[in-house]
Amino acid sequence: MKNFLQKIPEQVKRLSILLLVVVIVFIVATSLLTPKDFGLVGHYRAGAIQNNADKKMEYAGQEACADCHDDLWKTKNSSYHKNLSCEVCHGPSVNHVNEPDQFKPEKPRDRTFCPVCHEFNPSRPTGFPQIVSASHNPRRICVTCHNPHNPTPSQTPKECSACHAEISSAKSVSSHMDIPCTKCHETLEKHKLRPREYLPTKPANREFCGQCHSQDAKGDEFIPRINMATHEPRYVCWQCHYPHLPEAQ
Amino acid sequence: MEEIVQHLTPILKEIWGYIFPNEIELHWGVLIVLYPYLTGLVAGAFILASLVKVFNVKELQPTYRLAMLTAMAFLIVAPLPLLAHLGHPEKAYEILITPNSASAMAMFGFVYAWYLMAVLCLEIWFEYRRDIILWSQKETGIKKWIHKIISLFSKDISEKAIHFDKKWVKIITIIGIPSAFLLHGYVGFIFGSIKANPWWSSVLMPIVFLFSAIVSGIAMVLILYMIITPVRGKQLDILCLDKLASYLFYVMIIDFSLEALDFVHRVYESEESIKILAYLVSNKLFISLVVIQLFMGMLIPLAMIALIKISKSPPDLKKMVYFISAILVQVGIFSTRWNIVIGGQLFSKSFRGLTVYKITFFGLEGFFASVIVFCLPFILLYIFTKILPPWEEARNP
Repeated sequence: MKNFLQKIPEQVKRLSILLLVVVIVFIVATSLLTPKDFGLVGHYRAGAIQNNADKKMEYAGQEACADCHDDLWKTKNSSYHKNLSCEVCHGPSVNHVNEPDQFKPEKPRDRTFCPVCHEFNPSRPTGFPQIVSASHNPRRICVTCHNPHNPTPSQTPKECSACHAEISSAKSVSSHMDIPCTKCHETLEKHKLRPREYLPTKPANREFCGQCHSQDAKGDEFIPRINMATHEPRYVCWQCHYPHLPEAQ
Repeated sequence: MEEIVQHLTPILKEIWGYIFPNEIELHWGVLIVLYPYLTGLVAGAFILASLVKVFNVKELQPTYRLAMLTAMAFLIVAPLPLLAHLGHPEKAYEILITPNSASAMAMFGFVYAWYLMAVLCLEIWFEYRRDIILWSQKETGIKKWIHKIISLFSKDISEKAIHFDKKWVKIITIIGIPSAFLLHGYVGFIFGSIKANPWWSSVLMPIVFLFSAIVSGIAMVLILYMIITPVRGKQLDILCLDKLASYLFYVMIIDFSLEALDFVHRVYESEESIKILAYLVSNKLFISLVVIQLFMGMLIPLAMIALIKISKSPPDLKKMVYFISAILVQVGIFSTRWNIVIGGQLFSKSFRGLTVYKITFFGLEGFFASVIVFCLPFILLYIFTKILPPWEEARNP
């Protein structure tokens, strides 16, 4: 044994001692520093759940609002803002729930607040109500005209362009500019109130466009004509041509 | 609430297109850019050092010890940006005592500890052991004791013991190469494995990281060698510089090819994210990616080194070109890290919009904090060279 120990180079002995010290320190530190409740319910300290539960509540949740303001709550829940919780606009309000008279929730009056969602942005879905706040009744606060608990405008939009601005501006520079939308789309009045439930129609056959574009159609000479029998007979026209800007390739 | 709105309103004006609300502010700032940059320098400097020991590139001998100390200095600083970014540095030990093998990020402590203790410290110890013993014999006072402690009170400098040291330096270097690959490949893996982010999610990421790391490491040692040697009043070894520049050139070619491959692969695949990524590259990242990373940091240094190698240039011109190239490479690699870390957070996961990154000057995550973190390795390196001088003349005969 003594012979064997002597054969081990000096460096290895010293490094082994150091390694041993590191390993012992690591084991001791692990056993001392690992919290007692670590790993009981998952890869974390079980007490962390209680720590989080003990944190001060900020939000009350909209059910708490409904206890007192059920009229407003019902109005909101049947309006376009039904998916917004009360505290999205009114801010964290648990203090108000606990002591209604002492703490009042916020009422955003700034013209920068509503445009966080409603400022015009071409990436927002078509039909989502958007304004350009710089030109939309400047300096008047939003709630003067809009009831945030029931934001449906009191007047239904008169023109298609109110919602379909992009289509409208494309059409306005196209050769179809003089054709009214309703020439091609049969649109029920209800579409203006419930646009997704009552969709307008689209021309379903080739003959519809053929009224102007077939060889025997009546009308101005400059209108492009095609032979309805030979020109891609298997397709409806708008599968290849964009009717709101037919010049586009 | 009002405050949040006030804070967001000016930022909202700079946002292009549609982004999700939690994408307005970037979560990983300039400190997280610094982290892969620093670890890259560690891995790169180590790989350079391994060229001497494993691949027997004799010309690089003057930079061997310097490269090892550089790797050490940068490795010690590498976790600091993470600690500053996460906050609560007093809790850092917890990732070691409660290891979570299911999380790549949580395993960092072990990857780091392995590289620091099993590779760098051990190799430096074996490499310097004989010199430390001889130095401590001649010295007095605190320096003697520092050297005695570092040598673990070792005394054996017999022929056999020295031979054993040399053998182990070589063995550790061989273990060190995959370890360096592991360290920086790991950092690339952290980004490459984020499958929700098309800018990051790529199996090539660890390899691209690794080669750009080697590029930056070689360039950093070249810069340090070219600054320190004249400051010490010594002559630069032009053979060593030529070799360093050659290796820098070869590794840059590989790095460039890998990045080009990644680019072609993305363009050919043309996944649904390609449009927003193309927009990102041609707008927000145009200066930092196309101008700085590609032209300044890659093509210009490549062309400069190639020209100087083809033409028979005088040594002074060579030195100047190498130095400028290495500086440009550093800027380029930092820019690479910037483009990966910041670029990956600039586009919305809706693929319909871009946000902006505003760097702050003060605070733990600000510009000044990152400048301080970047300067620390050089201060450490200075201290290391005082304790363990890497110069040829400091070696004992």
